[in-house]
Amino acid sequence: MEQTTHLQSSDDFAQRKTEKEIRVALRGPKENHSILGVTAQKYHCWNCGANAENSTQFLFCEACRSVQPVNESTDYFQIFGLGREYKVKVEELEKKYKDWQKKLHPDLVHSKSQREREYAAEQSARVIDAYRTLTDPLSRAIYLVKLEGVLVNEEERITDPELLAEVMELREAVDEAEGTRALNEIQVQLQEKLRYWSNSFEDAYLNKNYDDALASIRRMTYYKRANEEIVKKL
Amino acid sequence: MLRHLTTTILGQRLRSAVGGDVLRRMYHERVVDHYNNPRNVGSFDKNDPNVGTGLVGAPACGDVMKLQIRVDEESGKIVDACFKTFGCGSAIASSSVATEWVKGKPMEEVLSIKNTEIAKHLSLPPVKLHCSMLAEDAIKAAVKDYEAKRSKSNGSQDAEPLGKAADA
Repeated sequence: MEQTTHLQSSDDFAQRKTEKEIRVALRGPKENHSILGVTAQKYHCWNCGANAENSTQFLFCEACRSVQPVNESTDYFQIFGLGREYKVKVEELEKKYKDWQKKLHPDLVHSKSQREREYAAEQSARVIDAYRTLTDPLSRAIYLVKLEGVLVNEEERITDPELLAEVMELREAVDEAEGTRALNEIQVQLQEKLRYWSNSFEDAYLNKNYDDALASIRRMTYYKRANEEIVKKL
Repeated sequence: MLRHLTTTILGQRLRSAVGGDVLRRMYHERVVDHYNNPRNVGSFDKNDPNVGTGLVGAPACGDVMKLQIRVDEESGKIVDACFKTFGCGSAIASSSVATEWVKGKPMEEVLSIKNTEIAKHLSLPPVKLHCSMLAEDAIKAAVKDYEAKRSKSNGSQDAEPLGKAADA
C-alpha cells in the first residue's frame, strides 16, 4: 500500500475528477476502509501532504496552516486533548476551545479556498458542539456513556415512587416560591443534589456500572430541569 | 390557586415551549385549549381511602405527572379526577384529557383507555407520543393505587383485583 500519498504532481491533481476522489487518493486506501482505532494510521494534510503529528487531533495542519476536514472518529474528548474521564477542568476546556477557534473559525479563513472554508465551517461547528457537550456535567455524562454504547432512552417512562414524589415536591416548591430568596434557597439545595449525583455518576462510570450511571443521569436531568425553572423565575 | 397554577406552570410552559423552542413546534388547537382552559388541575388528599394516586414520569424530559381519581365505593365509578403535570404542553394536555375521560366511568373501563386515542384527540406529533403513553400509565397507576389501598383496608380478597389488568 502506498504510504506517501501527498500530491505527486500537478498532473496527478488534474486527473482527479471529484473532491472525494482527491480526498481518497490523498488519504490513501487504508484510511478509507477503516478509520476507527487503528493507531498505526497516519493522516496527511490535503494541502501540503505533511503527516499529522497527532492523529487524534488532526483538525488543523501546523505545517501549512490548513483546516482539515472533519474526522468523525475523533471523539469530543480527543478534540480537547483529554482522555475519557468525567471530571474535567472547565478553565482548560475554555482555553483549548479559544485556541481552536483561532485556527478554525470560518471568519478567519475568508481569504482561503472554498474547500477550506467548508472544512472550517464543519470543523468549527464540531468543536463548538464538543465544547458545549463537555462543559455541562449532564451532557458530558450522557456523552461518556454513549461512547461506551450506552444510550439514554429519550422516551423512557418510570414509576419510581420515591424519586417521583421528590421531584413533584421540588417542582411544586419552585412553582410556589415567591421572591428571590426563596428561590435561591431551593437552588442551593439543588446544586448540592447535582453535586452528589454527579459524583455518583462518576463512581458508577468508573466501575462500569452503567445501570447506576443511567440512574444518576435520570436524577441529574430532573434536578437540572427544576433549576431551569428557577432560573426562568429569577 | 387554579389561576396561579395555570399562568405559572402552563403559561410559562406555553411561552417557553412555543416561543423559545428552537424547533418551533406547532401545537394543535386542542393542546392550546387545555393550556388556556385547564380542566381539573389540582390535588386530592392522597390519604383519602377513596382516592387513587398515579405518579409517573419521563426522566429524559424531566417530566412528572400526577393523576388522581376519586372513586365511589358502591358503584365503582370514578366520580372525580384531577391532575398536576410538570412538563411540556403535550404532557399537560394529555393528562388533562385523561382526567376528563375518566370522570363518570367505571374503573375497569378506564383501564382500556389507550394512549393512541389521547394522541389522536390532541393530534400529537410522533415525537410527543410518549407523552400520551405517560397519561395512559398515570390512569393505570391511579387505579392500581386505589385497588391496593382497598385490599389493604379490606384485609380480604375481592374477586380478581383490577390491579392485574392495570399491569397488563
